[in-house]
Amino acid sequence: MIPGTIWAPRILSVLRIVLGLILLQYGLAKLFGWPAVHMFENLKWLSLFGIAGMFELVGGVLLILGLFTRPVAFILSGEMAAAYFIEHLPHSFFPVQSEGDLAVALCFTFLYLSFAGGGPWSLDAMRSAGARTSR
Amino acid sequence: MNSILATPYGLSLLSILRIFTGLSLLQHGTAKILGFPAAPMFSNVQITSLTGVGGLIELVGGILFTIGLFTRPVAFILSGFTAVAYFLAHAGKSFFPLLNGGELAALYCFVFLYFVLAGAGPWSVDAIRERK
Repeated sequence: MIPGTIWAPRILSVLRIVLGLILLQYGLAKLFGWPAVHMFENLKWLSLFGIAGMFELVGGVLLILGLFTRPVAFILSGEMAAAYFIEHLPHSFFPVQSEGDLAVALCFTFLYLSFAGGGPWSLDAMRSAGARTSR
Repeated sequence: MNSILATPYGLSLLSILRIFTGLSLLQHGTAKILGFPAAPMFSNVQITSLTGVGGLIELVGGILFTIGLFTRPVAFILSGFTAVAYFLAHAGKSFFPLLNGGELAALYCFVFLYFVLAGAGPWSVDAIRERK
């Protein structure tokens, strides 16, 4: 437990940033076409995919910054669950066949983040530290 | 432990995340080694090939990680394993994980790294062993 006590929350922050970056890519690809993905060409902003892209864009930025991590992660966990059931589950029960591994993994990681918070390297932590000193 | 993880929900969720990550890894192992669930990409994988050895690590690691036995060392090995998988199988295709298909490997690498430090949580064989 000794190295874990200091470094586990820090690595939680690193994990949160990586998650945010992964998610941000999807948002950018869907809404702005960069990085260019064939599947997301000519996507309407107000389609199901476009709205998912907005969640991913805004959620990704907020996660990277670590701002409002818990509510954001909770919403994104729901988005990923919806993505899995709408987009992947009809193809196969097994995620390895339906290519839903990532959606499942993100869903549970976000769910964990919504309970564990964003860790020490986040705007949330800076905000609460600021609130403590100004009191 | 730090205060956010000290809440009972946070720790239980840690175990839930561990179990689902383990199961997800396990099906990659069983698909490669046992051919179930059948994935066309993994038909005719030789056990001694790179993919086959990867499958063995996923199979054994997936079982241990799911039940939560020796979680920290297992997570350490799996974190390194997924990092290698990312750089060998995915990073060559494109810089962006979205285009090279390596998001899952990248994500797991960091999830496993977190488990090295955070441990298995309360719902694990490790926790039962500690209690004795």
